[in-house]
Amino acid sequence: MQPARYRAQDTRAAWLMLSPFLVFFVLFIAYPMVMSLYYSFTDYNLNTANFVGVRNYVRLTRDPVFGMAFQNTCVYALISVSMLFVLGFLTAAVLNRSFRGVAGLRMLMLYPYATSMTAVSMIFLMLFDVNSGVLNKILRGIGAQPSNWLFDPGLALYCLIFVNVWKNIGYCMLIYLSGMQTIDPALYEAATVDGAGEGARLIHITLPMLRPVALFVLITTMVDAFKTFEQVQIMTRGDPLYTTTTIVHQIYQQGFSDFRMGYASAMAVVLLVVVMAFSAVGLRSNPSHV
Amino acid sequence: MYNDRKQSAIRPDDRAFRWVQRVFMLLMALLMAGPLVMMITVSLQTMPEIYAAEFTLLPKDPQWGNYTAAMNNGNWPLYFKNSAIVSAITLVASLFINAMAGYVFARIQFRFRQALFMVVLIGMMIPPQVTLIPVFTMLRSFTLFGGRTGLVNTYWGLVLPYIAGSFGVFLCRQYYLTFPVELDDAARMDGCSRFQAFRHIYLPLSGPVFASLAVLKFAGTWNEYTWPLVVTSGERLKTVQLALTAFRNEGEIFWNQLMAATLVVEIPIYIVFLFAQKHFVKGLLMGSVKA
Repeated sequence: MQPARYRAQDTRAAWLMLSPFLVFFVLFIAYPMVMSLYYSFTDYNLNTANFVGVRNYVRLTRDPVFGMAFQNTCVYALISVSMLFVLGFLTAAVLNRSFRGVAGLRMLMLYPYATSMTAVSMIFLMLFDVNSGVLNKILRGIGAQPSNWLFDPGLALYCLIFVNVWKNIGYCMLIYLSGMQTIDPALYEAATVDGAGEGARLIHITLPMLRPVALFVLITTMVDAFKTFEQVQIMTRGDPLYTTTTIVHQIYQQGFSDFRMGYASAMAVVLLVVVMAFSAVGLRSNPSHV
Repeated sequence: MYNDRKQSAIRPDDRAFRWVQRVFMLLMALLMAGPLVMMITVSLQTMPEIYAAEFTLLPKDPQWGNYTAAMNNGNWPLYFKNSAIVSAITLVASLFINAMAGYVFARIQFRFRQALFMVVLIGMMIPPQVTLIPVFTMLRSFTLFGGRTGLVNTYWGLVLPYIAGSFGVFLCRQYYLTFPVELDDAARMDGCSRFQAFRHIYLPLSGPVFASLAVLKFAGTWNEYTWPLVVTSGERLKTVQLALTAFRNEGEIFWNQLMAATLVVEIPIYIVFLFAQKHFVKGLLMGSVKA
């Protein structure tokens, strides 16, 4: 329902009031976006930028380190997302009830989400430390073999996944919880009358009713996982043997350590395509957004 | 009320289910609390205790001196000052700018409004990691105020990209859409311009949405690691998060000091989280359900 004519006064006021935001938007989002695309077709190295066509993209397909980074990121994302999906739902199901201490438990679930990834990484570096770490102390205490954790090529990525799940579980719980509270209690009462137990109600009522919420959780955790960088940079630097390097970690390495900014931009474009694809799915399934 | 009555007639299989839930929740609670407890424990231990073979849950003789030692390891007042200034500027500037834009998108009819809003929506989905390099090189080439590296390694370079976030625009728009349109009509009758209507009617009523946005923005800025890592170097502009990672770069890691510093760095966040949890949660949910 748009008015037939816009008031000239309103139009002027609108653009004027939008201008501070638009200046920032253009300078720090729109223009850099275009430049990212442009750089990806050049050999930009902070000084000169020559057009090289699709050479960076061809190189990406042959770069074993980027291949590892892409694969690691996918593994990281798939496992993180499925664990967050399940654990977030289960904790929300338990905490969607009023009992003594429920507020405290919700808070306990959520505090890691408020904590910085830097701090979380530091805490887990301490826990995972081979010599003085708490985890190995406990393992030794119960007579088990201590582990190399972050130094074990077969284990390091899963340690990082664990850190990610630990930090974000409360966020997923919160979103599920808010979804659960919009479900009509009459549905549960009807099911109870029909003889459905608590588990059956969870599977046959809560789960289907939460489909839009679940999809949202899926998309946000997926996008978030594809942007993984901080814990890698702080905890492992991509080691051992590139088993924990990720797409964004490679962007940082190539761009800011080796100053191959053209090549790094090609990686950034790949990341953008992946993230936008997921976001588009999320947007299309959520018609209430505009 | 209704639930209470049902409780008396709880079915046996439900009772078993409740027990499964209780055990599950207990395990989750231990999992979540464990790292926090261990951070505090280690922050109060001596290094020999930390390297001892056996596991200790609570420190025998709490070493509060670890905290002073940690805060004397580096110029921490400066790091806190830097993080506080950056967060404060970001907060004030982005709240005002986002609220004004949110008001326009919610209330003023003009050509291209829908299209523009769509562009902003898509812009919000672009990960900052994708534009990291161009933003850096752009700031570096901005040498108007002198310096060979432009705005790189300056307060402006650190702060400006934070202000650009458009999340707040959506939050404010969402909130202003719930206001009655009659407010604007009445304001116009009284001869108010659009900006005056925003300034004198909408802004004073923005408390709740500002509280949520401020808490989220503060947490985001205070906790940011990647951008300061890229755009600053040396001590002068070091933020608390960057300073934390410095403990790791030394030869031997003093875990007790590192854990003490980690806790101190996050204390402002925990205070906000504790006392403004309602706004924190509301902001997260507003961003999720309808953004």
